[in-house]
Order: sequence, then structure tokens, then C-alpha cells
Amino acid sequence: MSKRRSASFILVDVLLILMILLPLFCGMVIKILTTPPTDEISIAGAQIYFIVPMPLQDMPITESQVNSWLVILSLLGVCLYLTHGLSPTYETRRQHFAEMIVEATDNMVNSNMGAYFKAFSPFICAIMALSAFSSLLTLIGLYPPTSDLNVVGGWALLVFFLITYYKFKCGPIHYLKSFAEPPALTPLNVISEIATPISMAFRHYGNVLSGSVISVLLAAALGGLSVTLFGNLPGILGKLPQVFPILRVGIPAILSLYFDIFSGCLQAFIFAMLTMLYVAGAFPAEDYARKMEKIKNKNKKTN
Amino acid sequence: MGNLEVISINFWNIVISLCNLLLIFLIVKKFLYAPVHKMLAERKAKIDGDYTAAAKAKADAEAQEAAYRQKLDGAKEEADALIKAAVADADRRSDEILSEAKEKADGILRRAETEADLEMKKAEEGIKTEIVGVSAALAEKLLGREIHEADHRVLIDDFLSEVGNSDDQRK
Amino acid sequence: MLELAIGIILGGCALGAGAAMIAGIGPGIGEGNAVAKACEAIGRQPECKGDVTTTMLMGCAVAETTGLYALVIAILLIFLAPGRFVDILLNAIH
Repeated sequence: MSKRRSASFILVDVLLILMILLPLFCGMVIKILTTPPTDEISIAGAQIYFIVPMPLQDMPITESQVNSWLVILSLLGVCLYLTHGLSPTYETRRQHFAEMIVEATDNMVNSNMGAYFKAFSPFICAIMALSAFSSLLTLIGLYPPTSDLNVVGGWALLVFFLITYYKFKCGPIHYLKSFAEPPALTPLNVISEIATPISMAFRHYGNVLSGSVISVLLAAALGGLSVTLFGNLPGILGKLPQVFPILRVGIPAILSLYFDIFSGCLQAFIFAMLTMLYVAGAFPAEDYARKMEKIKNKNKKTN
Repeated sequence: MGNLEVISINFWNIVISLCNLLLIFLIVKKFLYAPVHKMLAERKAKIDGDYTAAAKAKADAEAQEAAYRQKLDGAKEEADALIKAAVADADRRSDEILSEAKEKADGILRRAETEADLEMKKAEEGIKTEIVGVSAALAEKLLGREIHEADHRVLIDDFLSEVGNSDDQRK
Repeated sequence: MLELAIGIILGGCALGAGAAMIAGIGPGIGEGNAVAKACEAIGRQPECKGDVTTTMLMGCAVAETTGLYALVIAILLIFLAPGRFVDILLNAIH
């Protein structure tokens, strides 16, 4: 199994690993350089780096955009690293991993959406990877792009476009008819149609944001608690907690385990799952099959 | 530059993140799915090739085995025929030998019988002449006179035939 | 007078945020029910554990949405609304 690799192969490997790690490191450096030093703990949105004047509305380039691009760059590195040195016979651990990812998403898409949506598996994989890694950015202290409503709003909007596209597959009349399924509930149907992307966006955004809000509150509380507990100690020991709140070491990690790792990955999974269910549910498979049959018959007649 | 509000909606940011998702979709599709699916297809083709080669090899082996078996069956039949022929030959030969031996034995027995008959005749002749002599002498002595052989020939012959008859009856 | 008005605005926003989070009760009960049923299902059919867990997590996430709406409203009331309301008040005065 152990085949000696050439020096160039190892060099490319090292470059790819650098490509994975360097964006994250750059993000940390940018964060350190641009964050103004403050004592107070505040809950705020993404930091604005610069504003591009655009029609309709100015476009601020914020932390969330930059971090998204860094994540995308890093994921490109991951993809290239996993598929580097792929061969049908010689199997490495990373190849097993790549195959596992591909086959798992293929199976998931196949079982949730059916064989017609086979081409969706890279999209689902992309949503999961981008969402999960964006949320996991909090682990290295960066601002998670998923706690910006605009980011998840954009994803939800794309999912909404997909849903509408598949509803339009049988023509605009069928699309309009689907709203008046029970005619009395037409307004409710329209509202629920609009509510789908909004609820998806707010769900993801709210989960990640609530995690960071609770983390911030806990950090503030632990800072205050360490001052009240150890502030009365004599001499320099009493001043230490104000500079270095000792209780903040370790304890927030337990919450971080749930809010950053578990919740981030779970929300990524749920966003992908809901995408699959909504898109597959929007596609009127039986009507579409009937329509295709009709077209086929017409073609036969003309021939 | 300051921060965004906690909840803020910006059209261009939404468009940017939408494009980001499309971009990562293209990246994942082109750099992860395409190579892995290509590799899986190659592996499938290779495994299929291996299977067909194995099936071919198996078919070849089976054909060869069948040929060998046929040959083996032919050899068995030949051997059976050979053995049968040999057995028949041997039977014939043994019959010949037996009959020859029987003939020989019969010949020997016949010769022995004829010889024995001759011997018996000779012995009878001898005994006859001896008995004639003895009886002549006995009668001479008994009668006190010489018996002429020619005179009493008839008498003696009768006696002798009686003796011979009693001998035959005893046999 | 102005301080009192601003104080009322701030207090009202805080009270509103707190009241909005009462909605957290609903998802709590709902998710509790979902998890309880999932536990029963797993107890009855341990071989379906994976499917049940996935479905349960999905359902929990969907049920959580109302709570998250409440959270969003609360965050709006705490971080955005006071500033806006004070601006409106100042504009009205001047």
C-alpha cells in the first residue's frame, strides 16, 4: 500500500495545505489589525471595511463578505487537496474521505429528492460545506458570516429561485394554479411561499447569532464574576482580574462546544435538508411526466 | 469604519452572498465531484473489465475441463474395450488349453487302458499257460498217467472259460 | 421631560423584548414532545435510531423557528428600536 511519492507530489501537497491554512491565517491577521481596541463587550454586526458606491444602495464590503471569500478559498484548497493524486487503484486516506463525501451526499440526495435531482448533490454539498465552515470560523475567533442576515438571506434567496424554477417546469398556468389549491386559502399559500426563504434565512441566522449573543453575555458575566470574586485579594492579585478575567478561561468552551460546533454543523445540515425537501417538493413530478408524455406523443404524430 | 447593525438588510450584500454560493457550488462540482466521479467511473470500468476477463478465463477453464473429461471418458472406454478383449482372448486361450489338456489326458488314459488291457491279456495268457501246465501236472499226478494235451484240450478249455467267467463276474 | 420620555422608550423596548421571548416556551414544549416521542420510537425500534434521530433534529429545527422569530424581534427591540424611537422623538420635538 505504501507507494513512495515523488518530491513534486509532496511539494504540491504542501502548497495545497498552505492554500487551506493561509486564508484562515489572513483572516485572523485582518481581524487583529482592523478591530479597534475596546474594553467593553458589545454585540454588533459585521465590521465594515470600505463602502463601494453603487446604484440603488451603497455596497459595504464587510467582514462577512471577506470571511466568506476566505472560506471559499480554503474550501477550494480542500477540494484540490482531497482530489490530488486520485487513482482508481492506489487508495489513500484522503481519497477514501473524498469518496465518502461524494457518495454520502449522492445517497442523501437520491433518497431525499429522487433520481431526477441527481445533479443537485454538488449543490447540497456546497451549501453544507460553506454553511458549516462559515459557522465554524468562530472557533478561530473570526466573525461567522452566517450570523449576518444578508449572507444567509442570499442563500435562501437562491433556494427560493430554485423552488420557483422547479414550480415553473409545467408552465406558468400550472404555477399560478398551484397557489389556488384550495381556492379559499390562496392568500395563505402566497404568504407561505414568501415565508419559506425568510424562515430559512432567519432560522440559520438566529441560531448562529443567538449562540454568539449568549457567548458574549456569558463572557461579560464571567468577567464581572471574576472581578467580584478575586477583586478583594490583597496587592497585585486584586488588580489582576480586571486586566485578565481568570474565569473566562475554559468555561465558555463548554458552551462553545454546543453553540459553535454542534449548532453550526446542525444548522448547515438542516439548511441543506430543507433545501432538498423544498426543491423536491416544489417539482410536480406527476404533472411533469404527463406533460413530457404529451410532448412525446405530439412529436410522434408529427413524425 | 464602524459596524453594521445587528440586523441589517443590504441588497448588494445579498447578491454577493448569492454569487458566493454559486461560486462554491461550481468549485465543488468542478474540483471535487468531477474528479471523484471520473475516478469512480474508471474504477467501475476497470472492475467490469476484470470481471469479464475472469468470466472469460472461467469459461476457458470450463471448456478445457470438459475437453479433458471427454478425453478421460474416451480413455476409460478404450481401457474397458481392451480389458474385455484381453479377457475374451484369455478365456479363449484357457478353453483351448483346457481342451488340449483334456485331449492329452484322454489320450494318456486310453493308451494306459490299452496297455493295461494288453498287460492283462498277456498276464492271462501267461496264467493260462501256467495253469494248463500246473493242471496237466496235477492231473498226471492224480491220474497217474500222462494226460495228452491234445486229448483233454476240450476239458481244459471248459475249465478255463469257467475260471475266466468267474473272473469276469468278480469284476 | 426628555429624559423621562427616553427612559420610557428604553424601558418599553426592554419590556417588549422580554415579552417577545415568552415565545420561547412554545418551541421548548414542542421540541420536548418531539424528543420524547423520538426516545419512545428508538426504545421500540432501536434499529431505526439513525433515521429517527435525523428526522427528530429536522423537526426540532423547524419547530425552533418560532422561537427564533421571537429572538429576532427581541434583538431588534434591544439593538435597533431604541435608537430609531429616540430619533423619531427628537425629530418630533424639533
